[in-house]
Amino acid sequence: MAEKHISKQLAHVVCTWMLASCLMLAQQSAPNTQGVTPPPGSPTPTPARMTFFVTSVGLGKGGDLGGLAGADAHCQALAAAVGAGGHTWHAYLSTQARPGQPAVNARDRIGTGPWFNWSFAQLGAPQNAIISADLAELHGDTLVQAQRGSNLFKQSTRNEHGEVIHGIGDTPPIQHEILTGSKWDGRAYMDNADHTCNNWTSSSTGSAQVGHSDRIGNGSSWNSSNATNGCSQAALESSGGAGLFYCFAVN
Amino acid sequence: MTGIKTSALLLSCTVSLASSVLLAQVQRPGEYPRGEKPSLMMSFFVTSEPVGDGGNLGGLAGADAHCQSLATAVGAGNRTWHAYLSTQARPEQPAVNARDRIGKGPWYNFKGEMIAQDLAHLHGDTMELAHRGNNLNKLTGLTEKGQIVPGLYDYSDPRDNDWDYAKATRFSTRHEMLTGTQTDGTAFTDGVDHTCDNWTSNKSPAPGTSNGNLNAADGRPNAQIGFPDRNGGGSGSWNSAHGTRGCAQADLPKTHGIGLYYCFASN
Repeated sequence: MAEKHISKQLAHVVCTWMLASCLMLAQQSAPNTQGVTPPPGSPTPTPARMTFFVTSVGLGKGGDLGGLAGADAHCQALAAAVGAGGHTWHAYLSTQARPGQPAVNARDRIGTGPWFNWSFAQLGAPQNAIISADLAELHGDTLVQAQRGSNLFKQSTRNEHGEVIHGIGDTPPIQHEILTGSKWDGRAYMDNADHTCNNWTSSSTGSAQVGHSDRIGNGSSWNSSNATNGCSQAALESSGGAGLFYCFAVN
Repeated sequence: MTGIKTSALLLSCTVSLASSVLLAQVQRPGEYPRGEKPSLMMSFFVTSEPVGDGGNLGGLAGADAHCQSLATAVGAGNRTWHAYLSTQARPEQPAVNARDRIGKGPWYNFKGEMIAQDLAHLHGDTMELAHRGNNLNKLTGLTEKGQIVPGLYDYSDPRDNDWDYAKATRFSTRHEMLTGTQTDGTAFTDGVDHTCDNWTSNKSPAPGTSNGNLNAADGRPNAQIGFPDRNGGGSGSWNSAHGTRGCAQADLPKTHGIGLYYCFASN
């Protein structure tokens, strides 16, 4: 009886030790890519300063966002939920021309900048809080700007909670494919192929152009790297997306 | 009864262990890959070690020799390796452009993954190429030993900024690559230092002149850097994001560099 008791205790101890050391190992192995805890003495978070984020969740229906209006409302609701609803929020999405309905360019929907993310402000690193100074820098309108890139990169491209979007090399699910329906210059496609899941109303057929929040994959474009396999939620997820999109405050 | 409980305990223990081990198998930035050797195609790498004397690399010749010796140590010494570094013009000494030193490509990393097809792809010579970008990123910008270079916030330790700490570990943020180069791969043509005096200086700025400013300025020892992880510094540029706090070895970690740079096989 005593012997059994001891062996059980031993099992307990061994197990706890194994688990603890494994957890430590796992902790070390996972790069710190989620929301970083602000260091002591950081400024108080000021949600109203945030004028850019990636949606923490999509609408769950693939490329059907309820059109631009539905997408904008999603931005607005997510922003409001974290205390940043004082701005007018627009989704960074283009729509393609239809009979009697001109194309809409994502870059024409987001104001003039500068745009700031939230978590870098929380971290007390204001020089890194800026996503981009203006439309030209964001889109690389000159060759030098295009070669340099904007300040939109993995650690600055965060959701409204200040969390980094899981990208290539992170633990799954990877969600780095961000819906844009746009060309590199932030404008709508002019050809007849579908690049916008039928102007953000299709959750089945069609395709959407996406960019990469971590700027990894088929080059390093944040807004126009490749097309999705389809418009269903499963199709978006099949290539490392989740139906997330960029939101910018226009004021 | 006790036996069953113990078995259940051991089972859950084994499951936790197995899943933890799985998680731990992801290659951490800075870690050596297990049992892998460099691809025979390897013609690009990030130096796994700095020269160690700040911006003094012994000029271009010294920097090239460091590339060559690191390559030789992993069995890739059969190629001619050049550092991706520019030097600025001096009286009777023309500027040298980093892009003119590295052959024509295509270049492949440790795993045989293509970094860029040619010079135009690497540098984004046209609007289309510049917007698309090359294939250099955090997971492809590997050292000659196959390590991912620890990038921004991989290891959030304040001591990352301290060379005494950084030199004793492979696991501190060190993603700033010396280049001395503009985005198009050419040397700077203004009159201020972007190359730690053509890679011969290990000087710090005079007291009071640094002020946290990373831009080049008159009389200020400085080197332009870029990021293989495309993550940080106002643009994520791989070859020309910003300057350094100075050229001493201890100045480089202040902005998350340790004096690493890119090496390309020119043949």
